[in-house]
Amino acid sequence: MPDHQESIISSDEIDILQEIMNIAFGKASADLAEYIDIFIKLSVPDVRMIPAAQLPSYFAEMVGERERVSIVEQKFWGKFNGYALLVFTSGAESELISILSCEDPDLFRDEPIDDLAKGTLMEIGNIVVGACVGKIAELLNDVMAYSPPVVLLERSVADIIPDDMFNSADSAVILNALFCFENREVNGMLVLLFSQASVVWLKKALSEFMEQYA
Amino acid sequence: MIKKILIVDDSPVARKILRSCIPKEPEYEFFEAADGQAGLEKFKEFTPDLTFLDITMPVMGGLECLEAIMKVDQQARIIMCTADIQIKSLERALNLGAVNILKKPPSKESVLKILSEVS
Repeated sequence: MPDHQESIISSDEIDILQEIMNIAFGKASADLAEYIDIFIKLSVPDVRMIPAAQLPSYFAEMVGERERVSIVEQKFWGKFNGYALLVFTSGAESELISILSCEDPDLFRDEPIDDLAKGTLMEIGNIVVGACVGKIAELLNDVMAYSPPVVLLERSVADIIPDDMFNSADSAVILNALFCFENREVNGMLVLLFSQASVVWLKKALSEFMEQYA
Repeated sequence: MIKKILIVDDSPVARKILRSCIPKEPEYEFFEAADGQAGLEKFKEFTPDLTFLDITMPVMGGLECLEAIMKVDQQARIIMCTADIQIKSLERALNLGAVNILKKPPSKESVLKILSEVS
């Protein structure tokens, strides 16, 4: 583990966060799978703390520098604050529209395609982000409020992290879960980002979470 | 009679949480593995009476590991211990021979119930 990360959050705390993300994303994917009736394959979540200035290169490495992506972005806040980013690789939105319309091409025939894509991603984002962040809050004994989701279609990887999201001198805690839909061309990731300011509360909450299993 | 218990989970925290939920009986002997492949090898080596198996793991996932274990021992008692509560995941696990599902995070009550059912 880099010294930078170890000085702020320990490897034990990273392990706890990873298990909490695993539980929360399991809940979110189950909610989504029930809604769209498709099996969602999950990966082991990646949890790390990096300087905020390195976030763009982190995403370039995760997604591919030249990939186009669609993003659902939502802020959340309670005793700790952060951003949820649901990122889909290019083309996923048309697959998602097809899934949500139950393969009926006439269902949304009169809707402009961009509006339809945005509405679809917003619907998926509400389910996934709400379930995942809500479960984390429940496990850490917190209650969250959410900003309305913002949907960005067909953007470059550099657009995943807006310039004003973090102070570049700060650090960011990343919780990242990759997923894909079985037998469908839908790949994505749910990323939760916490600011350095949330780390103090987060460490206390993680300690309390583990106390019940001492 | 359960004596040997194998816990297969990539998360050391998940293994610790599960062990804390299992009653402290002196006859229990614990073995642990951090992925499906290592879990399969531990299963062959120690022939546990009960195995707790996570679904989402690196190297070899839990469902693949479950299938491999059932080929080794059709009587193996496997509990899938997972946060992935999709109906299709649970159906696949039960169809492959898992005897029960333990939802994460486990509680002492849920673990005790499972232990009493498989004993």
